Amino acid sequence: MSTFLYRVSSVILFSLTIFMVSENVAAEQNSKLKGPKAGQMQNCEEATIICAKTATSAFAPNGDLWRVWVQNYRLYFQISKDNGANFSSAKRVDIAQEEISARNESRPKIAFDGFQGVYLSWTTPKEEKYTADVRFSYSSDYGKTFTQPITVNNDNLVTGHRFNELLVNNEGDISIVWLDARLAYQLRLEGKPVNGSALFLGKANFRKDDTVFSNEQLANNTCVCCRIAMDYNAQDELAIFWRHIYGDNIREFALLTVEQGTNAQQAPYQISHDLWKINGCPHQGGGISVNENNRYHMVWFNQGQVGKGIFYAWSDDQGKTLSTPISVGDQMAQAAHPHLNSNGHNVDIVWTQFTGTEHQLWHQRSTDDGKTFTAAQLLATATEGADRPFIIKKEANSYVSWHRSKQGHLVRAL
Amino acid sequence: MNYIKQLIFITLFSVCCCINVAYGNSIAFNKEQLTKVKVENKGKQWLMLLWSVDCPPCFKELAIIQKLKNKYDDLPVVIINTDADDESVEERKAVINKFELNHLTNLHFVDGKADQSRFLIDPQWYGELPRSYFIEKNGQFHGKSGLVNKVILTQWLLP
Repeated sequence: MSTFLYRVSSVILFSLTIFMVSENVAAEQNSKLKGPKAGQMQNCEEATIICAKTATSAFAPNGDLWRVWVQNYRLYFQISKDNGANFSSAKRVDIAQEEISARNESRPKIAFDGFQGVYLSWTTPKEEKYTADVRFSYSSDYGKTFTQPITVNNDNLVTGHRFNELLVNNEGDISIVWLDARLAYQLRLEGKPVNGSALFLGKANFRKDDTVFSNEQLANNTCVCCRIAMDYNAQDELAIFWRHIYGDNIREFALLTVEQGTNAQQAPYQISHDLWKINGCPHQGGGISVNENNRYHMVWFNQGQVGKGIFYAWSDDQGKTLSTPISVGDQMAQAAHPHLNSNGHNVDIVWTQFTGTEHQLWHQRSTDDGKTFTAAQLLATATEGADRPFIIKKEANSYVSWHRSKQGHLVRAL
Repeated sequence: MNYIKQLIFITLFSVCCCINVAYGNSIAFNKEQLTKVKVENKGKQWLMLLWSVDCPPCFKELAIIQKLKNKYDDLPVVIINTDADDESVEERKAVINKFELNHLTNLHFVDGKADQSRFLIDPQWYGELPRSYFIEKNGQFHGKSGLVNKVILTQWLLP
C-alpha cells in the first residue's frame, strides 16, 4: 500500500514539476513577447521622454516651452528656453504616485496663468473598468512645488470621468472639461438604456482661493472615447468641440460656446454631417482654434457614408453656419489625427499618414483665413509608432509637437 | 513496469495540459501569424474580432462571443487585441479571462506596432473599434466597424 502511495505521490510530483516548468516557459515566452517592457525597466529607469507613450507641450507666457509626460506612474516635466532645441533636466512633479492615463487619446494637460502659475490635470483610472477621476494639481511658483492633487469631479462615484481638457487664462481662471458617466451610471442603476456620456465643465481659481471645482453638465450623449477640443473665443468664452452621438449611433462633431446671459447658446450646433454610424470607438477627436476676429476654425475625422477622412471648415457665427468642409490629407494613405491652430489670418493644420511601414507628419497652411491652403508638406517620419501631433502657439508663431515612440519628441516651428 | 506506464501516461497528460495553457496565451501578431490563422481557418466561415481595453463597446461583443462559445465547442473566432501597449498586458489578460475566451486563438498587436499591424490586416481600416471581419469559406474578408449584434454573429458563426 505504501509503495502504491509512494508511486502515486511521485507521479503527481513529477507531473506538477513538468507543468510548472512549462508554465514558466510559457510565461517567459510571453514576457519575451513583451520585450520592450523588460527593456523599459532597464533603459527607462531614468526619466526620459523617449520612454513615454505621449508628450504634452505648451509655451508659458515667458516664452519657455514646457513638456510633460508620464513614466512609471509619475509625472515629469522639462523646460526649454530655445523653443525645444534643448531642454532642462527632467524633474518629477512632487506628488504621490498614482496611475495616470497616457496613451492614444488620453494624456495629462498643462496650462499657465500670468503670475508664474502652472496647472496640471490628468485622469486616474479606478479599480473598475472604464472608471476614472479627473485630477488636478497647481504650482504657484513655476513648478518648484505642486499642491497635492485633488479630484475635480464631485460625484464620488466609481464611474467614468475621462478625456479631460484644460484651459487657464492670465488671471488664473481654470476651465476643465471632461466626459462624465455619472448620469449613465444612474440610468444603469434604474435599468434604463444608456448611450454615451455627458460633457461636464469644472471651474475654479486657486489664485483667488476658489479651490473647489464647480461641476456643470453642458451636454449629454457624447461619444465616450474621443478627446475633447477647446479654445477661448474673441470674447474669452469657451468654445468646446467634441464628438457627439446623434440619433441611432451617428457620431458627428458638435460645438458649444459657453456664454453667459439670456441669449446664451443652449444646445450644441452639429458641425459635421458625414453620417458616420458606428456603435463603437472612433478614437479620433477633433481640433478647434478661434482667431482674434472670432472665426472658429475646426478640423475633424470621420468615416461616414457621406464624408470620409479629414475635414476642415470655419464658422463666423460660432457654428450656427459653416463654410463648405474641405478634405485634408490623402485618404488612401491613412490620413488621420488632425490638429490645427490659427494665428491672425494664418491657419495651420497637421495630421499623420501611414505608408505601411512609416508614420508621416504632414502640414498645410492657409494665409487667408482658411479660404485656400498651400500644398501639403511632409515634415517628419517615424518607424516605431507615433503619438498624435499637436500645434502649440507662441505669440504669433505656431509649432508642432509630435512624440515618436522610441525615437523622441519633435518640436518644430511651422 | 506498471509504474513506468503510469509515468508515461501522466507525463503525456501533463504535456497536453501545458500545450493547452500555452495555447491559451496571447500570441504576438505579425504577418506570419496572420497567414497562419488564415491557413488554419481555410475553407471555414469564420470571424476575426479586434478589440481594445479602451473600447467599452468591444466588451459587449466579447460577451456575445462568450455566450456563443458556450454553445459551440469549436467556435471559429480569432480574437486580436489592438492596444499595442506593454503597460496594458495585465488588463488585456484580465478581460480575456473574464469573458473566458482563453481557449480561442488570441493574438495581440506588439508594442509600438499598432499601425503596422492594422495595415497588414486592412489598409483601409483606421483603427475604430470593435472591428469585425467576416471571412467567407473562399477567404474573402468583409470588415465591419462597431458593435455587431448577436443575431448577425450567431447566423455567421452557427449557420
